[in-house]
Parts: sequence; C-alpha cells; structure tokens
Amino acid sequence: MLLEQAPIQSTGFRNYGPVDAREGFEIRIRTPNYRGFRISLLDGVDVAVDGERFGYENNLFALNGQTFSLEELRAASDVRWELGDPATIIVPRPGGLEPGIHQVYVGCRVRYPYFPPKLQPHTMPWNRLLTIVLP
Amino acid sequence: MTASFKYGVSLYSYTDDFGTIMGLEEGFDAVAGTGATGIEILGEAHVKGYPEPSSQWLDTWFRLLDQYQLEPTNMCSWVDTRLHLERNLTVEEGAGELERDLTLAHRLGFKFLRPKFGVVTSDLDPDPIWEGAVERVLDLAHKLDIVICPEIHAPTPISHRVTQNYIQFIERTGTKNFALLIDFGIFQDRPLPFWPQETPEMREFDTAFLNGIKVNPEELLDIIQYVAFIQAKFHHINDDLEDEHIPLPKVISALKRAGYSGYLSSEYEGVRDPWVAIDQVRRQQLLMRKLEKDFDEGRLA
Repeated sequence: MLLEQAPIQSTGFRNYGPVDAREGFEIRIRTPNYRGFRISLLDGVDVAVDGERFGYENNLFALNGQTFSLEELRAASDVRWELGDPATIIVPRPGGLEPGIHQVYVGCRVRYPYFPPKLQPHTMPWNRLLTIVLP
Repeated sequence: MTASFKYGVSLYSYTDDFGTIMGLEEGFDAVAGTGATGIEILGEAHVKGYPEPSSQWLDTWFRLLDQYQLEPTNMCSWVDTRLHLERNLTVEEGAGELERDLTLAHRLGFKFLRPKFGVVTSDLDPDPIWEGAVERVLDLAHKLDIVICPEIHAPTPISHRVTQNYIQFIERTGTKNFALLIDFGIFQDRPLPFWPQETPEMREFDTAFLNGIKVNPEELLDIIQYVAFIQAKFHHINDDLEDEHIPLPKVISALKRAGYSGYLSSEYEGVRDPWVAIDQVRRQQLLMRKLEKDFDEGRLA
C-alpha cells in the first residue's frame, strides 16, 4: 500500500472500543526512519492531543496485527518494522476523543545506533492536525 | 586519457518518495532515466521482506535489472549495536549481522556492502566490535566477491583516527574485501539550510557539521588506493546547474588526477517534498558528467 508522505497518517485516526464506551484512540504512522528496523530500537511513543499528554510508558504499539506494550517492544529484537508498513499507536483514554479536528503530536523514541550516545533515544517531533470522524 | 568514472544512483535519493509516490519499478525508471548504469540500495528499506525476500520479489528484482539494464552496485546495511536497551551487541552478533547482509547482497548481485556500525562516542568512533566482526566475515566476503566498505561520512574527515584505523586494518590483514567508501558530504564547504525541527542552538552544537567540515579534496590523492566506492552526496543543485554546498569541480578534478575509475553513486539528501528528488538527481548526474568531460578536454584542471 502506498502511504501518505506525512509521517502521521490521516487515515487510521479513530476511537476504539465499544461504540457507547470507547476505551481510547488510535493513530496510524509511518516508520520514523528512512529504513525499516527491528522494533526493540523503538523505546515507546509519546503522544499529545490538543495539549493533553499521553506518555510512552502507557501507549501500545501495533504492527501487522500484533500489539506490544513498552516492555514487549524492548524485547522484540526479532520483529521488523518494514519501511512500507504502517503501524498503529494505541492510546488508552476512557471515552475516546470527540469527533472533530485535533492537534496531534507523536514522538517516536528511537535508538539510532550510529548517532552519538547522548542522543539516545532520539525523538523526531511530529505534529499534524487530524480529524476524528466517528464518536 | 585518464580513467573514466562509472555513474550510479542510490535509491536513498528518493527517501520519502519511495513507498508514498514511488514503488520499486518507478525507482528503477528514475535511476535508469539518468543514464546511470548502476543502482545502489538500502537493504532494509528497498528489499521487501528483508532479509529474506520472497521468490516473487526476487523475480521482480532480476526482471527490473534486466529491463532497465542496471547493475547492482552497493547495498547499505546496519550493524545495530544498540539493538538491546541493556547491552551492546557482541563481536559474534556483529559478525552475524554482517553475514546476514553479505548473503543477501550476494543473492541480489551486489559487489559492495556498506555496513553502518553503531558508535560509542560523540566523535563517532565505531563500536570496537567492528574490527573483530569484520575480521570474522572476511573469508565469506572473499568467497562471495564482495567488498565491505565502511563509509567516511561527515563529521568524520579523512585525517581522523576512525579513517586511519580502517586503513590500518586493510594494511594489517592485506584483505581485498575491505575498503573505504567516501561520502562527498565530507567536502561540503558551505552551510546547509536548517532541516525541519532543527534550531540554531542545535546547529551550534550537535549538528555543527551541517555547516560543512570542509575536507580538502586534494586529500583524496593520499588515500585513493583504499577507496572502493563513492557516494556522491549532495543537497541542492540550483537552476544554473551549480551545487550549492559541495565543491564539485575540485572534487571531480582530484578524483580524475587520482585515477579513480569506480562508481559515483548519486545520493540526494535535500528537501524531501514529493517529486523534488527525481530532477535533482538528474541535475547532479548531468553536472558530474559535464565536469568529467571538462577535465578530459582540458577545461578543468
């Protein structure tokens, strides 16, 4: 599938959980890198929506139908995130988000082994306006 | 008449286009359309199913090579020394990463492999496992007829212990399967524009090398016997066909006088808006060919 060039994708921003009792929301992203990599190099993903912060310790990461907690990510040195594969950040927030346009921040905390030690992990700050369509 | 360059293009040039507006076939078309004869890739970006592509993908790869008349040049790889949060890779594990990529590079027909090792200092000294890891796979590289090429890349200049250590390794082992890859970025002598998210404070410290580390291209003449491959890094060629950051006439002149006859593989690393890279690469290919001709015909000294 060809993805949008913006790292945070428009499609895939939605609430999850039962319709009348949403448990949180999801954001679809591309790889925070110009190559694929093993996901133990991804030390969690920070998220903020309209200024409300959701720390990397509690967000989940889903790739090709498999979901990882931070602890599971750190152990997943044999799982590859391919360049062309979108991943989903799952953010618990009872009630989900209101339908509407939201200011979304995503910060993937990545260890780039060839960057100096003091830059580990390194976060590329991504910001984008995204739209939730359904409650 | 001096030796002639070979011209190639790295698919890295099309980063952010690749997988969004460009698939593998469009990438081949863009490369071949420049008149280049070689294609360079990043294994873990451009090979679907890396490091074990499907037979269907392999069929496509060889069909495209044939159809576009391109030869595989260099495959870039990584030795992810910080794969685990709590410890760095061992020599054995590092050798395993190299073995994996040598095997894949060979399957795809590549002659050069550029492994990027993790670093352990702010000065970008590679993790010390590099030496033991490389030594363990030299026989395999020899058997597969592949030259392993660490890249000499800004902020690391030619006159630096990292480069000197690689040269000492070549001298000590006498190997023909380990050599330097020179990235044109070390010759950059004018500052790059700020990248998105980059601040003046960052430029003053962490990314100061983006102002250019200004290696004198004449230094190529001292080390050319160790150079196997060149990534012709560039950031912007303007509408008057001038490179705004790399002193290409000086670099091309030095390479010609040094007798280099290997690949110049275009590596565009500039604005990543869609559809910009394809023509930027064409401009650089034109400019490099023009400069080579100028040298050959006595207009460039």
